[in-house]
Amino acid sequence: MTIELLDVRVTHQGRALVDVPQLSLEPGRAVTLVGESGSGKSLLAHALMGSLPSSLQVQGLVSFGGERTPLQDAAARRKLWGHQLALLPQEPVLALDPTMRVDRQVAEGHPGFLRGRRGRLAALKEAGNRLAGLGLHGVQGAYPHTLSGGMAQRVAFAAATIGGAEVLIADEPSKGLDPVARDALAQLLSRHVEQGGSLLTITHDLDLARALDGELLVMHQAGIVEQGPARQVLAAPTHPWTRRLLEAEPGRWDPAWRNPAPETGAAVPLIEARGLAKAFGGRTLFSDLDVSISPGERLALTGPSGCGKTTLGGILLRLVDPDAGEVNHHAELAGGRLQKLYQDPAVAFPARVPISAGLRDVVRRHNVSPERVPLLMDRLRLGHSLLDRRPGEVSGGELQRLATIRAMLLNPLVVFADEPTSRLDLLTQQETVNCLMEQVAEQDAALVLVTHDVGLAAAVADRHLSLEEAVPVASGRDAIAPQGSR
Amino acid sequence: MTILSTPSPPPSHPAETRRDHSLTRAAGKVLARRAAQAVGVTLAVTITCFVIVQNLPGDIAFRIAAGRYGYDKVDASTAAEVRADVNLDAPAWQQLGGWILDALRLDFGTSLVTGASVTDELALHLTATLQLAAVALVLSVAGGLLLGLLAAQNRGGAVDRLTDAWVSLVRALPPFILGLVLIIVFSVQLGWVPAAGHGERGNIVLPAITLAVGLSGLFARVTRDAVAQVLESGHVHFARTKGLARHVVLARHVIRNAGVTLVSYIGVQVLILVEGVVVVESLFAWPGLGHALVHAVFWRDIPAMQATVLALALIVVVVSTLVDLAVLALDPRTREAQ
Amino acid sequence: MNITQQANGKAPDMPAPSSPTTLWGMSGPVRRRLSWTRAASAGLLAVLVLFALIGPLVWRQYAGQDLSQFLRPPSFAEPFGNDHLGRSVIARLAHATRLSLGLALLCVTTAGIAGVALGLLAAWRRGWVDQLLLGISEIFLALPALLIVLIFAALASGEMWTIYLGIALAQWVEYFRVVRARSLSVFASPAVEAANLLRLGPVHVLRRHLCPELAPVLLTMASLGMATAVLAMSTLSYVGVGLKPPTAELGLLITESLPFYYEAPWMVAAPIVVLLLLLSGLLGLRTQEVRR
Repeated sequence: MTIELLDVRVTHQGRALVDVPQLSLEPGRAVTLVGESGSGKSLLAHALMGSLPSSLQVQGLVSFGGERTPLQDAAARRKLWGHQLALLPQEPVLALDPTMRVDRQVAEGHPGFLRGRRGRLAALKEAGNRLAGLGLHGVQGAYPHTLSGGMAQRVAFAAATIGGAEVLIADEPSKGLDPVARDALAQLLSRHVEQGGSLLTITHDLDLARALDGELLVMHQAGIVEQGPARQVLAAPTHPWTRRLLEAEPGRWDPAWRNPAPETGAAVPLIEARGLAKAFGGRTLFSDLDVSISPGERLALTGPSGCGKTTLGGILLRLVDPDAGEVNHHAELAGGRLQKLYQDPAVAFPARVPISAGLRDVVRRHNVSPERVPLLMDRLRLGHSLLDRRPGEVSGGELQRLATIRAMLLNPLVVFADEPTSRLDLLTQQETVNCLMEQVAEQDAALVLVTHDVGLAAAVADRHLSLEEAVPVASGRDAIAPQGSR
Repeated sequence: MTILSTPSPPPSHPAETRRDHSLTRAAGKVLARRAAQAVGVTLAVTITCFVIVQNLPGDIAFRIAAGRYGYDKVDASTAAEVRADVNLDAPAWQQLGGWILDALRLDFGTSLVTGASVTDELALHLTATLQLAAVALVLSVAGGLLLGLLAAQNRGGAVDRLTDAWVSLVRALPPFILGLVLIIVFSVQLGWVPAAGHGERGNIVLPAITLAVGLSGLFARVTRDAVAQVLESGHVHFARTKGLARHVVLARHVIRNAGVTLVSYIGVQVLILVEGVVVVESLFAWPGLGHALVHAVFWRDIPAMQATVLALALIVVVVSTLVDLAVLALDPRTREAQ
Repeated sequence: MNITQQANGKAPDMPAPSSPTTLWGMSGPVRRRLSWTRAASAGLLAVLVLFALIGPLVWRQYAGQDLSQFLRPPSFAEPFGNDHLGRSVIARLAHATRLSLGLALLCVTTAGIAGVALGLLAAWRRGWVDQLLLGISEIFLALPALLIVLIFAALASGEMWTIYLGIALAQWVEYFRVVRARSLSVFASPAVEAANLLRLGPVHVLRRHLCPELAPVLLTMASLGMATAVLAMSTLSYVGVGLKPPTAELGLLITESLPFYYEAPWMVAAPIVVLLLLLSGLLGLRTQEVRR
């Protein structure tokens, strides 16, 4: 069954948020919609689904195998939910009922589930089979909070598809997933297409788009600016905006701040850790690990989610105590020459006071020349009016740059950046990392970057330390595979 | 509600059995913590009451004697008898130890006013109070749930605004004034129900309504907020897109999740309920713990006061324990947090 | 879903001011309505405070009996008439309002200072100090406030200090629990971790992190606590274990005038209305619900 959307317009108080003349989904073909946050791509998916918030107005037509209904008639599409039209939600951890065992959540989408005791048993059996088919043995009776993000994503996939819907809409499905889990997801979605389903994926993750292949649509400012086979568009983009988007991928960066010749560690290390070990929740994160950070070097800590990257960072900063081993800081680091950037900068600022107040405290306390703040604001391409806002009122990318300014006021010798851009889209990530690295290069500070994005790590760091998946304590296996500099 | 009952689970899951252990462990911790609280409150109340008795004006022996034999028969000899009997000449710490041991054995001695055994009277008061509290709780929970559910279904609608107004109104309405108005209107003016007392038909109506009105407002507000929050949650949206009808989502997902908040809220409510019981029983002469407590305070009948305060406090502890256990059963996340 | 997510203000990178995201969800209209209620409550309270401050100066004679004025109906000089002992009702009301507000303020200040100080201490020192205070607070949590006040009333019935101490002792635990919990989460927050890495010192943490986090909750709790204190005091007098006549107190004014509600309804209505206005003014000030 082919689905066609015609003249879709989503508006809010007269402002167009989506304006797409035509979009069609065909069985056996993946359609992927990429674009930056706020380009309207999610709204387009929800317009098709019939799940837009009521404050938005939608116009246009949708045709299911030739039968046309107006898009405003969301109720008509709601009747198709589950058995013809299914949605794979973003952030699967939030999409699963925390108080219900997962097999029941999968089974309830089965058409027979509400038809008597026998139907329910059949549905539960089918749910168990589907979960097992996704490699989820033995978690049927588990509750969602015990699952990893990737496992929750697979449970959500089973729950969304058990109703037998041909059309699957995936809304930012790779959000918060590490590369391994993302590849597994791409395989699942491709399998749905191979089995004759149609797929519409909304994402800002170009790697996911690449893996799904199929048709690619690039969305920018409410409209579609380029479309065509994914391979072709990604290899030879024609629209300037698509080119910009592709150039924002870390693999293609060619920044001025790159270290021309990484030093060879002759200097006295600023941070030196020996024999570190840490276990958490019955799992060994790492053991007998040595780490040292020399002045001016750029180290990336990589590894899948939950492998203990952030914990290791906390230990190196001496914010968390290791189970074994010791961490030594060079005397020069005293007095705040060791600074940290956080994954969510909004929680790293005092929430209820204007940003300027926090920066003023830094300036006063450390006798920084007051002109440095406006100077840095200009250097990091930030409007001065941002200072009067509270952290919650500034976008994530801008706030991360403000956090960079705050850290730089103390002329740090080591900057520790914990997934600083994992919540940002590609363009914002590039801008944010550029700003950070320009400062790092200018001040000749050392950088420790924690990330699960291997591409970003490669673009930024000179040396890599990769942690493996955490292992249960009992096995006692050495979980560390330090890799040399590239 | 058959939808909520789940069929026997398919073959055993390793994950499931592990979780169930965590439930037992968490429940054990709750019980231990609440038991410590019960012992703590018993000790605190007993010691306080002992101190008060020690500092009462006049000779305590005379007061006890008056309670036992009547005011006209009190003289130095009966007082001396009492003194020997209750061991009043022993050092204070010995007497306190005796008090505590007695309290742990639920023996609160004899009333300083009526001379009757406090423990025996306590049973009667407790029954009357539980009767009143149960009726009030059922009325308020039923009314509050209904209002809150309706309000949450259509936020900003007529029912929602009405609930909002109701909540604000009853919150600022002291129970004793509400009771007063109800007595004047329904008992004195209309003569529909008796104003006060116990044992007649209809006695329970006014006090129960007085209690229920105050509670229902808060319960409606909490229900509304909890249900509205769950309705906005990602998992309810997802459940809808699975193709489940609105009422199925309500029964399978909304009620249980909102229930976690609502059940915890009952723990707060029991405090309000106990305070309400004290006021309302005095107002309507309902012979429960609250009425007895105010009497005891008025006559400085410390043994009776100690017993009633402890009974009310232990009701709070018991209800809180049940609430904690119910939350553990409803929300698996809390089991690990314990 | 994307949409609800954005409503929480967690959109990854939206240009904040121009985006329509803030209009999703309920936050907008609700906040407006609440602030309207708060303004009205603040106005109402201002009037009552003025009455409590100036009233007793204008109508000084609140205890003087004059049986020739028995149940005199309201007039221009005596807006609420005279009571069964010929005393000026408005003078007694003014004194009762002053007493209620004054004592409530005293109770809340005492309980608030003690609770905040102990809560900060527990969150700061942790360890056995925290455990001890937490244990004590658990005992108080099992005792509804009115029970604590009643126990104190038994100690020395009818005296002001028992009511003051009883109410204060019943309320400190709420401040303690809330301040302790919030301080613990503030101390553990990345924002404070960042402040420590920036070597900003305890004054910064107190001023920029802790105070802004605690102030709105504490103000809400204080207005709720005052309402509770006003209510507790009048309830105690009403059931006969609070202050004793001839004190001018709201609960007593209601009890004393009840036998005459048929002949002089204004006399019953006046203290009830003042009590209701006081309570709705104090309750309407709250900015958020507080759970302990």
